[in-house]
Amino acid sequence: MDIKKAKIRDLRKSLDNKEISAAELCGEYFKRIEEVDSKLLSYITVTKEKALKDAENAQKIIDAGRAEALTGIPLAIKDNICIDGVRTTCASHMLENFVPPYNATVIEKLNEQGYVLLGRASMDEFAMGGSTQTSAFAKTKNPYDLERVPGGSSGGSAAAVAASLAPAALGSDTGGSIRQPSSFCGVTGIKPTYGRVSRYGLVAFASSLDQIGPICNDARDCAIILNAICGHDRHDATSARVDTPDFTEKIGQPINGLKIALPKEFYAEGIDDTVRKCVLDAAKELEKRGATLVECSMPSLKYAIPAYYLIACAEAASNLSRFDGIKYGYRGEGRTFEELIRDSRSKGFGEEVKRRILLGNYALSSGYYDAYYKKALALKQEIIRQYDKIFEQADVILTPTAPTPAYKIGEQDNDPVKMYQADICTVTVNIAKLPAISTTCGYTADKGLPIGMSIIGKRFDEQTILQVADEWEYGFVPLDVEL
Amino acid sequence: MAIELKTIEHLCELSKLDYDEDGMKKVMGEMSDIIDLMDEIKSFDLIYDDTKDGNEIAFKDTREDVAEESFPTEKLLSNAENTDNCYVVPKVVE
Repeated sequence: MDIKKAKIRDLRKSLDNKEISAAELCGEYFKRIEEVDSKLLSYITVTKEKALKDAENAQKIIDAGRAEALTGIPLAIKDNICIDGVRTTCASHMLENFVPPYNATVIEKLNEQGYVLLGRASMDEFAMGGSTQTSAFAKTKNPYDLERVPGGSSGGSAAAVAASLAPAALGSDTGGSIRQPSSFCGVTGIKPTYGRVSRYGLVAFASSLDQIGPICNDARDCAIILNAICGHDRHDATSARVDTPDFTEKIGQPINGLKIALPKEFYAEGIDDTVRKCVLDAAKELEKRGATLVECSMPSLKYAIPAYYLIACAEAASNLSRFDGIKYGYRGEGRTFEELIRDSRSKGFGEEVKRRILLGNYALSSGYYDAYYKKALALKQEIIRQYDKIFEQADVILTPTAPTPAYKIGEQDNDPVKMYQADICTVTVNIAKLPAISTTCGYTADKGLPIGMSIIGKRFDEQTILQVADEWEYGFVPLDVEL
Repeated sequence: MAIELKTIEHLCELSKLDYDEDGMKKVMGEMSDIIDLMDEIKSFDLIYDDTKDGNEIAFKDTREDVAEESFPTEKLLSNAENTDNCYVVPKVVE
């Protein structure tokens, strides 16, 4: 069976028609992982033994005629989502040997459907980065050009899907960590509305911004996974008690009369010319298919990066204070309790994580709190207000996912400011708790690097952004990965 | 804005992190650049209104205060240095 760019719904048919067994299917993916992943480094841990057991269980369900959408479907899971008994490292030496004693809620939900775990996808350490080069264990490369980054922080998940080392994966998104790697790797990834998917069992980076979501070959597959993982969870007080519709329902419906807003600041200076043209061409194509384009403005975008980093790092400094080397995680040396904690944290965390903890404590510390953290919260309210205003006149918003296509490995290593500024197109969505999906809208003419566009929706209106993404993907021919 | 050494030392104290001399110099430079970027926010002139925020958590919707089965102690301790069902820590009282 050819698994290259295989869609979940096609694999479902093959499994149900007994063209292939669940064990044979995951065997095909392991074969591909063995062939390719030494070059790509998309996985931190490959769980072959567990996968064969998962597949055996799934096969029984299929044979009994009780298969659900994801029964027997192999998936990669980002290495910051807890799986009972499976090492979960967050790509950090701090958690190098950490084996969770429980499952994240999303894993419980996938288990209920009988999915098959292929392995743990690499990521930036503690999800802090946009390149997957801060991973302590697997600095993933871009499948379209091995000299370039796959994006991040869910770079392992996106690269694995793009190179057909998994048909789909779960990632997490705090400031663009699902959408930006999806853009760099030419796949489709959705960040659901904050509260749509339970965060229980997701190792916390910034609790008011984090959200789990799928990375797939197209929007239809994203809808299938979202159907499986969404819903209120009593273990997560921030998960929303809202109706959970069938996310595939509006897929395939025409977009006639749909209003698409184009905020001018997202197309201004700092956005690569090729990226701008590619996204605007896609907007024109959607207009030809019946949508109406609406010009609008989002003036607060110029403050978005400091607002995001102040909020995210303040929360990270608090969340990561739990890593003391005592209860779990890397244990350093020290004659006293204080020495032990400092040594554990200094050696367990990587440089980017430490920088963000320092920045977070700076923003929260006496004398700076009002000037930085509270100002960032004021900005958050203004960003929400401006999005609400745009949504009074439009159904969705269209922007580039990243200012540039994938850049060369090492290009931003010594420049954290440049690295932070590259998140400009994605962070406001997390601040405003909105859903957004990134899909490929073209490729650079010279190097064939993917370019992504983001479709942002109203809170809890994932159905419409999936509908628009699917409409765009209809007839769009993705470039093959040559690996 | 160049960040002062004593500020970085204070942040390291708050963060429970140590740097050697070279590391301290490097992080001082990086933090100065990062704070410059964060300073852009100072020209934004609106004030945070805490009455319009933080409504996501439904405090009225809390679960019943009923004891439930906990994780097995052995499983929880398996990720740490432990003995006799207890975490092992350095001597705190001399």
